[in-house]
Amino acid sequence: MRKLVLIICLFSPILALAQGFQVNLGGQQQIGMGHTGTGLLQDGASVFFNPGAVAMLSENYVQAGVSPLLFKSDFNPLNTSTQYHTADKVAYPFNAYVVWGPKASFWKIGLGVYTPFGGLTDWGNTWQGKYVLESLDLKAIYFQPTLSIKLTDYLSIGGGFVYNHGSVDLKQALPLSDASGQQTGQAELKGSGKGYGWNAGVYFKTESGVSVGITHRSQVTTTISDGNALFTVPGSLQSSFPQPNTFNATIPLPATNSIGFGFYPTKKWTLALDVNVVGWSVYKALAFDYKSNTPSLQDSYFPRNYKDAVVLRGGAQYKSSNNLSLRFGGGYASTAVNDGYVTPEAPDANRFYVTGGIGYRLGQHLNVDASFEYEHLMARTQTNSQSQLAGTFETNVYIPGLSLSYHW
Amino acid sequence: MKTKFLKQHLYIIAGLLLLGACKPEINTPKPSRGSADFSRFIAVGNSLTAGYADGGLYLAGQQVSFPNLIANQMKLVGGGPFSQPLFSADQANGSGYLSLAGFNADGTPIIKQVTTNLAIRGVITIPGFGNATLYTKYTGEINNYGVPGIKLQQILYAPYGNLNGYFERMLPGNSPTNATTYLDFVTAKPFTFFSSWLGDNDALSYATSGGAGDVLTDKTQFNQLYQALIARLTAGGQKGVVATVPDVTSIPYFNTVTVGAIVAGVQKANPAVTGIYINALTSASTSGTYAPRIATAKDLILLSFSTSKIGQPVTTQLGPLPYGLTPLTPIDSQYVLDQNEVTLTEDYVSSYNQTIKSVAVKYGLAVFDAFAYLNQIKAQGIAVNGVNLTSNYISGGLFSLDGVHLTPQGYAFISNGIIGVINAKYGSSIPFVNVANYTGIKFP
Repeated sequence: MRKLVLIICLFSPILALAQGFQVNLGGQQQIGMGHTGTGLLQDGASVFFNPGAVAMLSENYVQAGVSPLLFKSDFNPLNTSTQYHTADKVAYPFNAYVVWGPKASFWKIGLGVYTPFGGLTDWGNTWQGKYVLESLDLKAIYFQPTLSIKLTDYLSIGGGFVYNHGSVDLKQALPLSDASGQQTGQAELKGSGKGYGWNAGVYFKTESGVSVGITHRSQVTTTISDGNALFTVPGSLQSSFPQPNTFNATIPLPATNSIGFGFYPTKKWTLALDVNVVGWSVYKALAFDYKSNTPSLQDSYFPRNYKDAVVLRGGAQYKSSNNLSLRFGGGYASTAVNDGYVTPEAPDANRFYVTGGIGYRLGQHLNVDASFEYEHLMARTQTNSQSQLAGTFETNVYIPGLSLSYHW
Repeated sequence: MKTKFLKQHLYIIAGLLLLGACKPEINTPKPSRGSADFSRFIAVGNSLTAGYADGGLYLAGQQVSFPNLIANQMKLVGGGPFSQPLFSADQANGSGYLSLAGFNADGTPIIKQVTTNLAIRGVITIPGFGNATLYTKYTGEINNYGVPGIKLQQILYAPYGNLNGYFERMLPGNSPTNATTYLDFVTAKPFTFFSSWLGDNDALSYATSGGAGDVLTDKTQFNQLYQALIARLTAGGQKGVVATVPDVTSIPYFNTVTVGAIVAGVQKANPAVTGIYINALTSASTSGTYAPRIATAKDLILLSFSTSKIGQPVTTQLGPLPYGLTPLTPIDSQYVLDQNEVTLTEDYVSSYNQTIKSVAVKYGLAVFDAFAYLNQIKAQGIAVNGVNLTSNYISGGLFSLDGVHLTPQGYAFISNGIIGVINAKYGSSIPFVNVANYTGIKFP
């Protein structure tokens, strides 16, 4: 019976997003260890976790992983016993890294392609908050070429350039009924855009054997230009919602500052601790600037007023043999969303998570790593200051993951 | 050791999954009826109670009447069945109603009257009163006793069942043979809980006729009748909710066509015109007289006024003169609630509401202050589930095409206001209505 429940959970379709929209699924080994890795040398995922550590890696890597994300949110409107659940949809955050340098050289280069931000939330078109949001599909794919240099045997630095390809598809019901009383009004905003950023890190080993990493991943302001603004409205209102129409929007994906530590009490055990500070306070508003405006169709401005968030992470790896590693970890993240600003697109709240993972060495050069993460966003009862949508959100997130890495 | 660790690890994961099940489920307390008993809920009132909208009573409107919406929610806390005097599906359009056919190039609405599938059975002439339209009789259980047009003043008037076709259709007898008063009729069967929203028409009928076609109910009489009404409704210890009378000027019927807009329209053709003339009450008194004067922004032009009348030639002692533009050809009083009439109406409404609130306190009833509620919306609008509702005509979403009664969305919204005061008064937790399920104006 337990097994059955587990299987249902893993394969029932899903939904994505995490703290705000930050997904944080940089590598399966690191996920297994509570998503730590800033102060560790695990594998090619250091490109994401700490570009400063890449030059210290003892091998070269080609690796890729995926973490199907199951995001299940529940909304209970204030003063009711009704529950609305998000539809079962799966998002596929992924990561892929190449790290290369001559053997025993002081430098390495790398390329990372990963999805640090995103959201896939589908509340449907019949729920109480449909005029706030029906569904949101937000993706950000970062491409990051990286260079890392070992300055001494104890100290290395590195940095990368980030190009982001972002896309958004947002649907919202419009409170317009047709002649037969059907609530057919809908707005859909769909477009893609790009943004640029950078990151840098430093990694060093202390005399006590503790390893330390410090990184900065910059804000990546992503601009969507000439996205499609599609409005479905009754015929008599068509002129108020001109078609075709386009929109521009800018979404600031926040900077993250991290410090991480690695401890190695025995040959078999690795312990890690990371702290992230995410600069969500840059996310002031979600604004859409339409090319054609009418008295009925003004540019929209949704205040968000996020605040900086802190994430504490801890994890461990136990190498039970040359071939098998077992990992576990967990953490706690403070919400980025102030009271009064919680929205269904990212019903954020303080959250905790636990993770587990297994790494297995298939051959001398090939590793497979599996991970699992469970997140729980605490129930949060809110009245949104703009929409007045009032009720309680509670969310569970299930994230299995699998990666393959070839190293030499 | 190895396998044991692995196993334990998997158990932890499995345990967590079981703990959270697959999807989260927020625990909500079981709704409670508190100290009230909703097993037979009756609704007493006028058109707002009946579900009147778009200038008519029709099936789709009846189905979203606020008492019906509230009764559906009461069923979650032990409420009983709730029957309404619905029109049949064949005669679903009831009295007929207004529908939006589109917009003119200048953005003004094109409104048509629905005249098919009506439930009109005839028109009878009552000596000394005039014509009464009669509707297909309803026989069956009734919980919603809403009668469009009824005033508090008429609840003890025995012949009223012959004069008002909406009341007549609920009664067994045919007009003009009825002699049952409204109050006797609604209290004939035992009930446990009531809503009473009466008194609006005692002021509104005067206001919507521009002060010309009806009179305000005397304040003392209003007080006496309201005392009698509530004494009877609570005679068996019943609990209930009463609503106050809205400020008549909070509704779009009085705020859509403005003096400024008319003058601006006239000036486009004739820049020399500086104002329009109305026939206005000279003092804020029921015994005041009428005299023509220039209209100001404080005079309210009714939604029923067709601005195309302005400037049309009218025969006078000085020959033909343009309508509305001279003291000899003022806009008729029936189209204007002038400043003194507004003051007079507001004074009466204020008195009525004092009566309603004090009687409610005396009998320990919940009070839905529609006056304050609608004035607040007029002043600043309100957001509900991401929709901004205002008192604007058509675009506001709250008021139907007649500018007085509500849209389904408006009735759903009001229902929550009423449920809120019931819950607060009686410690119940009747769940709220999902306003997002209900439509505003229907657009072609």
